[in-house]
Amino acid sequence: MIEIRKLSRSFGNLLAVDNLDLDVGNEIFGLLGPNGAGKSTTVMMLTTLLRPSSGTAKVCGYDIVKDSKKVRSKISYVPQDMAVDRKLTGRENVLLFAKLYGIPNRNSKVDEVIEMMGLSDRAGDLVAKYSGGMRRRLELAQALVHEPEVLFLDEPTLGLDVSGRRKIWEHIKMLKAEGMTIFMTTHYLEEAEKYCNRVAIIDKGKVAAVGSPENLVSSIGENASLNDVFLEKVKTPEEQAGFNSTQFRNLLRRR
Amino acid sequence: MMKAIYYYFERDLVKWLRGRITVISSLVMPAAWLVFVGLALPTKFTDNYIQFITPGILVMTTLFSSLQGGSLMIFDKILGFLNKFLAMPSPRESMLYGKILFISVRGLLQATVILLIATILGVRILNPVNIVLIYLTLFLFSVLFSALSTMIGLYLSDHDSYAAVNSMISMPLFFTSSALMPYDVMPAWLRTLARLNPVSYAIDSTRTLFEGGIPVHGIIGLAIGAGVVLLLGTYQFRKAVV
Repeated sequence: MIEIRKLSRSFGNLLAVDNLDLDVGNEIFGLLGPNGAGKSTTVMMLTTLLRPSSGTAKVCGYDIVKDSKKVRSKISYVPQDMAVDRKLTGRENVLLFAKLYGIPNRNSKVDEVIEMMGLSDRAGDLVAKYSGGMRRRLELAQALVHEPEVLFLDEPTLGLDVSGRRKIWEHIKMLKAEGMTIFMTTHYLEEAEKYCNRVAIIDKGKVAAVGSPENLVSSIGENASLNDVFLEKVKTPEEQAGFNSTQFRNLLRRR
Repeated sequence: MMKAIYYYFERDLVKWLRGRITVISSLVMPAAWLVFVGLALPTKFTDNYIQFITPGILVMTTLFSSLQGGSLMIFDKILGFLNKFLAMPSPRESMLYGKILFISVRGLLQATVILLIATILGVRILNPVNIVLIYLTLFLFSVLFSALSTMIGLYLSDHDSYAAVNSMISMPLFFTSSALMPYDVMPAWLRTLARLNPVSYAIDSTRTLFEGGIPVHGIIGLAIGAGVVLLLGTYQFRKAVV
């Protein structure tokens, strides 16, 4: 569904994505990596919001630069910002997307996706009264209204409580079972380990590891977790700087 | 394209109408100008000052409202709405045009309130065609400045700097225009500035319409100005979003 070939993007001197090669099939694919690794930049290029500096990528067979409009008609994108209009009702938020996508029979379609996300009984309330988990599900409802083939999710469970996160994941699993491809970024490695079919760990814009969570974990050793794989593959500045406990204790005492 | 513009317009309009305080405040401020400056100022510029200043207040209201409009674009950008909309297949510019349309229509709604108050205070327009043309003039003027403010907003992408730029240009534009006094009582330096100011252009046209004339050149000039800024805005929007 997604073919990424030598994809690069730089901002001034900073090379955010560096010759990235990835293939994503019909699966739940997780893009993992430390802050600033190039995850969001990659997603923004694949969703045609950012032009690559070099290299190409195809989504559903369409080139992200030459056929960007066709790409947009096949995908949905949910950024991490939770951008839903607080002064509109849940239903109005979804209806706006249905109108913009030009959905036929939009009223019944809107009711259907709201029902699917379990928001029917609150659909008439202003979004200002929604919880974080409900807002996220509302965004999923917006994204699903035109039945995309690929769903891009940037940190879909960020800032949600445990039950809110689990609910989002259940919905994502259900969408995969319906045949949708899901491409997502996340910082929650336990979740990626549990729910993603395959993951790629990227660091400084390059792929550090790619494969199913089970294979990556077993390559490290027994009783390992995806966290161990991550720490093994990624050397973040925080980690390299280390933590000097004596120095920190002295600083605290001096106060 | 037209449909998408309307849907974006509708979104902003419904959101604005639901924020009751913003609606009330945007209607009270121009009314206060009209009453306190139009009726209370002891000026000897003209025989009928309220009749003279009403076009000025109308244009001022549309000017300030248009210049504020750019903040809508900033919020949509920093809150992530812009990216969501741009990832949809509907024409991308429709988002920009929907915004400009909303800002302009909002300005016309405010202008309507002023026209009503001015009528109560004794201002009269004789020909209904002229009322339609007043709306056209204000609309073109509003498109010009809301396209400009959206450009500034998109360029700065930061609300504080935007507010600073806004207050830096709005007051000087207003006070160096022909809103408050006729050209012949202005000091010479102000007269020169006022003649160059695009805001005076709109005010003089509106004033001619109030007096029963039809300012063909003024309306054409504003239409050209609005068209040029709209083109520039479209160009900048396309560059900014891909």
